[in-house]
Amino acid sequence: MKNEPVDVLIVGAGASGAAIAWSLLETRMRILCLEQGPHLADKDFPSRDDDYELSRYGKFSCDPNVRGLKQDYPINADDSCIMPVNFNAVGGSTINFLGHWPRMKPSDFKTKTLDGVADDWPVDYATLSPFYDMNDQTTGVSGLACNPAYPKYSPPLPPIPIGKLGQTLAKGFNEMGWHWWPSDVSILSEDYDGRQKCVNAGTCDLGCAAGAKGGTNFTYWPMLENAGVELRTECRVREIMVDQDTGMATGVIYHGPDGQVHEQKAELVIVACNGVGTPRLLLNSKSKMFPDGLANRSGMVGKNLMFHPLTGVTGVFDEPMKGHEGPMACSILSQEFYETDATRGFVRGYGLHSGRSTTPMTYALGGFGIDSPIPWGDEHRDVMDNVYPYIAGLTVVAEDLPEEHNCVTLDPNLSDSDGIPAPKITYRLGENSRKILKHGEERAKEILLAAGAKKILSKGNDIVWWRAGWHQMGTCRMGDDPNGSVVNGWGRSHDVKNLFIVDGSIFVTAGAVNPTSTIQALALYVGDSIKTNIETLFD
Amino acid sequence: MWTDKQNQTLILILDELIPANEKAGVPAAGALGVADFFSAATPYAPDPVQSITGILKAVDDKIPDFAKLPRAEKIALLKDVETRHAADFATLVRLTYMGYYSRSDVRPMFGVGPHPVQPKGYDVARESNELMDSLTAPVRARGQVFRDV
Repeated sequence: MKNEPVDVLIVGAGASGAAIAWSLLETRMRILCLEQGPHLADKDFPSRDDDYELSRYGKFSCDPNVRGLKQDYPINADDSCIMPVNFNAVGGSTINFLGHWPRMKPSDFKTKTLDGVADDWPVDYATLSPFYDMNDQTTGVSGLACNPAYPKYSPPLPPIPIGKLGQTLAKGFNEMGWHWWPSDVSILSEDYDGRQKCVNAGTCDLGCAAGAKGGTNFTYWPMLENAGVELRTECRVREIMVDQDTGMATGVIYHGPDGQVHEQKAELVIVACNGVGTPRLLLNSKSKMFPDGLANRSGMVGKNLMFHPLTGVTGVFDEPMKGHEGPMACSILSQEFYETDATRGFVRGYGLHSGRSTTPMTYALGGFGIDSPIPWGDEHRDVMDNVYPYIAGLTVVAEDLPEEHNCVTLDPNLSDSDGIPAPKITYRLGENSRKILKHGEERAKEILLAAGAKKILSKGNDIVWWRAGWHQMGTCRMGDDPNGSVVNGWGRSHDVKNLFIVDGSIFVTAGAVNPTSTIQALALYVGDSIKTNIETLFD
Repeated sequence: MWTDKQNQTLILILDELIPANEKAGVPAAGALGVADFFSAATPYAPDPVQSITGILKAVDDKIPDFAKLPRAEKIALLKDVETRHAADFATLVRLTYMGYYSRSDVRPMFGVGPHPVQPKGYDVARESNELMDSLTAPVRARGQVFRDV
């Protein structure tokens, strides 16, 4: 079935697709977004149910292989030590992300120059800074100004409560003489822009039914739909079409909710499907002109996959920490060990995040859907009565370096419900990342003890958390060299002049911070560049 | 789904997986009725009834009258079954935890509200400016911790 052509076609209604749609609104071009998931209604969010925690292991699991919903595509991660996680709906993974909102730092964009590793980005912090600010205003970001870990900026809202847990850990950092700061979060500490402030439900991963968390389903999309951007849900794009004479993208083929295959023409195609979904789509868009996948003359589509490998250490304190009260991932963040220090034996660094604890079922099952259940029997009783209420933890978030062998390819046997090949992940932990995690684990223990912990619980092995692939980056990297990168310094494909990519796949390096703030700032920057270069956009 | 005898054995097994804390008034899983959860547990395990039936059969094969065993022997038997039927036993443990802790009457025993977390949530006071200033003072005093580029 054919549809009326549009000016701009965006694939994916998550963090980056929403942000670039907003940026392009003022052009008055006709914008259409195709999203494979549905619009979630208020009743769809499990946090209003009595047994809300159960959904974490079913329809609201962060793992698409567990959810197995029609809109999900399976992911083969048999050859990976980290499972990519996501969500498919209007809002994408901002539905179930945790709202932690740190920016990348100036050095993150210059790792080759500063540390001799990876590559420098073709954009820098100063260029993105106004787009970070713009996005913070639209999203509603809470935090404390004048963080000494960043060039000066001011979040629009005051910080969320750091709570007893955060205050306790802050004292530990102060005791050690190390940096910490209240986390920047895309979670409202005050009513803002018609949205209600956070009620400290503590289940951010189950979606925020109140709209306090800055999912694009609550931030950008209401504005966009009011302004006339067309959003077609439950539409899964199969491939991007290319004119075999001009080499320009002509639109997409997608599977609609009616079960039919549709063709949608467009002047400009923007891919915003995340670091796994985007290379999957490009690799599946083969033609005579692009036999190895669209925009892949460099061979870099799907390569250099980066996650943020995670591990954690828990302290057991004398008093209840009430860790289930408040946004679950973020209370305070230390960036003492973020920048390279050659004496540590590795390059780049890590952040220490104070993850709050969670509700009893999730703890009993091994934490945030990540590890093994706690023991049964008398030991179970002891852990739940004498450990669970008293815990505070630190998560080590390591910077991953780009390595070509870590990649997304198409699985030859596995496919989604429309028969589109599923992605296969090949990923192993680099030696530098392993050293970072080890260093972080030792420092975390020191901080927890300094904060008054009576006992330390750590895994004691170097196995990273399994369902920790929230941040998928690097698989369609930016760069000035068409032989070594997929898109240029403002997100345009080197090979297909009217094809843009705006999600985490265009990251050159990963930093050691949650990427959504940077993904959206980049998307706004790409949108701005499209507007600036509109006269010569396809040259 | 199961015979009366199997149901009785299942309740006793669940009581060992999550035992009671009688002093604190926290019930064991079997006594609380967690067995009722399993028939509705299909979203969380491929075939929960088959897994649990497998465990019940393994226990029955070992000792036809599990109820009569002293507690230490019950635990030893269950550990043996766990070793020999690891996957099914792991399913049983996991579903027991889910059935037990998803109950709104259990959460308060661990300091967590019985209510759905939205719309009510929890009252957490924001730190005063004075407290935040004093906590962050040492961090600010140490100055910049990022590299200039």
